[in-house]
Amino acid sequence: MTIARTLVSTIAIGASLGLSAPLAAQTLNVAWSQDATGLDPHTQTAFASIRLLELLYEPLVRLGPDLEIQPALAESWEFSDDATTLTFNLDPEATFHDGSPVTAGDVKASFERILDEATGASARANYASITSIETPDDHTVVFQLDGPNVPILNGMASVNAAIVPAKAIEAGTVGTEVMGSGPFTLEQRTPNANASLAVFEDWHGGDIAYDGIDISVLPDETAILAALRAGQADFAFLSDPLVATLVPRDEGLTLNAAPTLDYHVLQLNASREPMGELKVRQAISCALDRQDILDAALLGEGEVTGPLTSPAYRNDPFSLFCYEQDQERARQLLAEAGYEDGFSATIMAANGEPPTAAAEAQLIQSQLAEVGIDLSIEMQEMNVYVDSWLAGDFDMAVALNGGRADPYTMYNRYWTKDGNLQNVANYIDDTLDTLMQEGRVETDEEARKEIFAEFERHLAEMAPWVWLYTGYTYTAQREGVQGFEATPTGSLFGLVDVTLAE
Amino acid sequence: MSFLRALLRHSSGRIGAIIIAVFAVAAILGLAGLTPHDPLAQDRLARLQAPGARYWMGTDLFGRDILSRLMVGIGQSFAVALLSVGLATSVGTVLGLTAAWFGRLWDGAVMRAMDVLLSFPAILLALLIVAIMGPGLVTSVVAIAIVYTPIFTRVVRGPALSLKTRSFVDAARTFGSSRRYILTRHLLANLVAPLTVQITLALAWALLTEAALSFLGLGAQPPNPSLGLMLSDSRNLMESAPWMLVFPALVIMLAVLGFNLLGDALRDLFDPRTRRALA
Amino acid sequence: MNYVLRRLLMFPLVMLGVSVFVFVAIRLVPGDAITAMLGTESGLLTPAQRESLAAYFGLDQNWAVQYWRWLGGLVQGDLGLSVTYGQPVSQIIAERFPLTLELALLSMVIALLIGLPAGVFAATRAERPSDLIVRVFAMIGQSTPNFVVALLAIYVLSVGFGTLPTMGRFVPLTEDPLGNLAQLILPALALGTAFAAAVTRIARAAMLDILSEDYVRTARSKGFSQGYVIWRHALPNALIPVVTLSGVEFGYLLGGAVIVEQIFALPGVGRVVLDAILQRDYALVQGVVLFIAFNFLLVNLLVDLAYAALDPRIRYGAS
Repeated sequence: MTIARTLVSTIAIGASLGLSAPLAAQTLNVAWSQDATGLDPHTQTAFASIRLLELLYEPLVRLGPDLEIQPALAESWEFSDDATTLTFNLDPEATFHDGSPVTAGDVKASFERILDEATGASARANYASITSIETPDDHTVVFQLDGPNVPILNGMASVNAAIVPAKAIEAGTVGTEVMGSGPFTLEQRTPNANASLAVFEDWHGGDIAYDGIDISVLPDETAILAALRAGQADFAFLSDPLVATLVPRDEGLTLNAAPTLDYHVLQLNASREPMGELKVRQAISCALDRQDILDAALLGEGEVTGPLTSPAYRNDPFSLFCYEQDQERARQLLAEAGYEDGFSATIMAANGEPPTAAAEAQLIQSQLAEVGIDLSIEMQEMNVYVDSWLAGDFDMAVALNGGRADPYTMYNRYWTKDGNLQNVANYIDDTLDTLMQEGRVETDEEARKEIFAEFERHLAEMAPWVWLYTGYTYTAQREGVQGFEATPTGSLFGLVDVTLAE
Repeated sequence: MSFLRALLRHSSGRIGAIIIAVFAVAAILGLAGLTPHDPLAQDRLARLQAPGARYWMGTDLFGRDILSRLMVGIGQSFAVALLSVGLATSVGTVLGLTAAWFGRLWDGAVMRAMDVLLSFPAILLALLIVAIMGPGLVTSVVAIAIVYTPIFTRVVRGPALSLKTRSFVDAARTFGSSRRYILTRHLLANLVAPLTVQITLALAWALLTEAALSFLGLGAQPPNPSLGLMLSDSRNLMESAPWMLVFPALVIMLAVLGFNLLGDALRDLFDPRTRRALA
Repeated sequence: MNYVLRRLLMFPLVMLGVSVFVFVAIRLVPGDAITAMLGTESGLLTPAQRESLAAYFGLDQNWAVQYWRWLGGLVQGDLGLSVTYGQPVSQIIAERFPLTLELALLSMVIALLIGLPAGVFAATRAERPSDLIVRVFAMIGQSTPNFVVALLAIYVLSVGFGTLPTMGRFVPLTEDPLGNLAQLILPALALGTAFAAAVTRIARAAMLDILSEDYVRTARSKGFSQGYVIWRHALPNALIPVVTLSGVEFGYLLGGAVIVEQIFALPGVGRVVLDAILQRDYALVQGVVLFIAFNFLLVNLLVDLAYAALDPRIRYGAS
């Protein structure tokens, strides 16, 4: 054991040297496991990209910790009484990283870029109702809408609607050079390895208590935990509950778990038999014990959910169709559909995204086997998975899909007739489409809740997908890192409020 | 049988043979479905249970019996190892023999192709093949076979070349024996020793490579029990459920050790210098 | 033909074969480089954007043209452009290789520091209990896969000592030598275990051989001390196979320790290869694999040449 002991002391020496290094320039060392897949704020959809880009770019408004809309580049905003005109007043102090002011012209150019089909903007459908953009002066932008559209404000509270300089759009450098107005500038980045951010001194949002952020991309969450314990990381973003729940074992570390809007779901492909049969889909929904999957795969860290995950719209999931496991009913439904002997299908899951995917697939496989459905698991690399997912090329898929504060912005891509991810959803009916359109134009909050509650009931009963649960996003920090407030969107924007001890 | 007796008299041969025999029994029981529990059955009430009376080696995250999974895992590892090494041996022997026999262009072509394959570290070549074929057990067999084919080709070609020039082959030729007869009868007979040693060692490496591939998620797919996969599953749980790490680690180690010991003993037995010493 | 000359002439030929093999192998991988690069967003690309991207990365040409271009670039040291990193492949290699090299060197140092003395010690006490103990350990060491050593080491550290090896941001040697060592010592140990075991076994066998040679026996019988005989006569000769073995193993290690780099989150060549294969980054896989094969061949060539220089039988031997 002497070798081990020598080792420990060597490591301890290294670690202590790393720690006691004078913090002349205070840098926050951040670690996470997934790297951004690109730098164009308008086209990126991966959580990992959004997390980084939110620190570099700003939209007009953003969501706060309670999902309330907060000023970002816009100081204030106003809907006309009929909700067909939306006016923003820009913060006159706001500048891009090169010092040039953020003007109404930049806003107009950015939205035109998003709306241009050739850009391939991921959230374009959310802004489709914009008919014209007016710029009465440098700090005022007026959006004319084709009808009442309240959710559009929520839809704009996303880095996918970030404002980029008009001249960068002209030069075609969006996505290759980072020129945002956010609290940090990107100093250096090696994909899949690391990135350094420096505080943007002239950020209009206020002062930041430290000088910059060093990001390490550590592909393995155990490695992130090790980095936290060794003091090599001050702050980390974790997504594996198995690792996150180990954090509190260390006295010097704090774990923050924030419920998220993102939902774990079993996607059924209704364009393939036998999933096209309503009763088969319902049988699958009845056969699953959602709480049990949650308990095993996420160690119980989460909550069973229906399709609506945002607190303002959330309903008791157990009031929905077959949320209590009922194997008898599942068998009966299968028999009625003509599958009394069950059937075989494949279920695909991505390696490590989410980290619980392999476990979920195995639990679902085991539970469905009890009613005679024989699943074979296909574990795929993330990019292969995404290819198949986008093409709708799967029988069933385990997925972790992003949630939004507003149900319309969250689901119009899947559950409307012209949703841009209809071929991923593979199911649509008139009721869903009608309810979505009603929800979009309704301005009365109570009435909207009613509409979406009905939407949720119908969706759960038609069971094109089987919604399982929402988990937590975890952040962990070392002693001395204070002031971070997590949000249900999993955003790390709260890092701007962090202070470092010493 | 005297050879077997000699092997068992050799100290490391004895230990190696015992280890491999024990594992082979476990593997056969595992593949025949004669495990204490169903290796795929999830016991909801016994998740992450420490080793005990009911589950001798504990359970994993899903409440599956580790011992049963290990038995099936060894079975699959052995099967992959035997198939891949068998494939590599056959292809390598054919290539090596024909290269030595026909010489000239064919020899050059085969040996240069083998040089190319040998220019990659083994695991890298295996990764490339997995990337082309997609992950799975069949891929593991092919990947490992391709990695080891050049080694067997070389092992066979060297002795075959020197045997070819020796007089008894010439003699057989002049007596009119068919070409095929000469190849199989004389050359193969003289190749048994180096081949046996090489096969045993290759089996050890094949076990390792299979475990490595499935550790990276590129071999057997869940919920299929596989030693590498079980090890990688244990990574995030090793602090709370060390039995998930320790038992598969021990099994991989011992299995490789068994083949290595056996290989060593065989080398000693075939080596004329040590054979004298042992006798 | 002269052995040395033939080996030197073979080198570029084999490299050419390797380049064709890598080039073709990568193109057999199912899937498309552009979807692999962009992930989800690729579904939103217009056909026109796809084409312009393909043209930019040279993916629109046929294989022969692509290969010819690639080869042409290679000759000028241009390994192409990685689509995932948006950087020249040569730059990525330049960034990652020092770590792999350092890890390989460190593992070799560990292996030789443990293996040589252990092997010599065991040889001088052949067939006694202490020899047996060394051989048992060597056998176990050689049979333990490096990722098992790595995992067990992490486990022992975290449970037994409540600490973990530092796996955060990689600290280059030039920045903080001690911190760098702290990071690399465990991975190097994981890689060095089997290596050390192999060195032990080879060193022991070689020493035994030489100790039984006539001239050593003569030296002994002339009354030279045991230590003198070993250090002055036996060891230098026993080193030849050790050097050969170390060279070959070192060549392997330069290929990047894929799993160990993955376990310890080290940004070395092995991890780049794994990521690049999984992300279907054609240029990057091609470049890095070729680079690794080049190193591997080069190290082996040097080992062979050194061996030929040391052992005249090979230099003049036929085939």
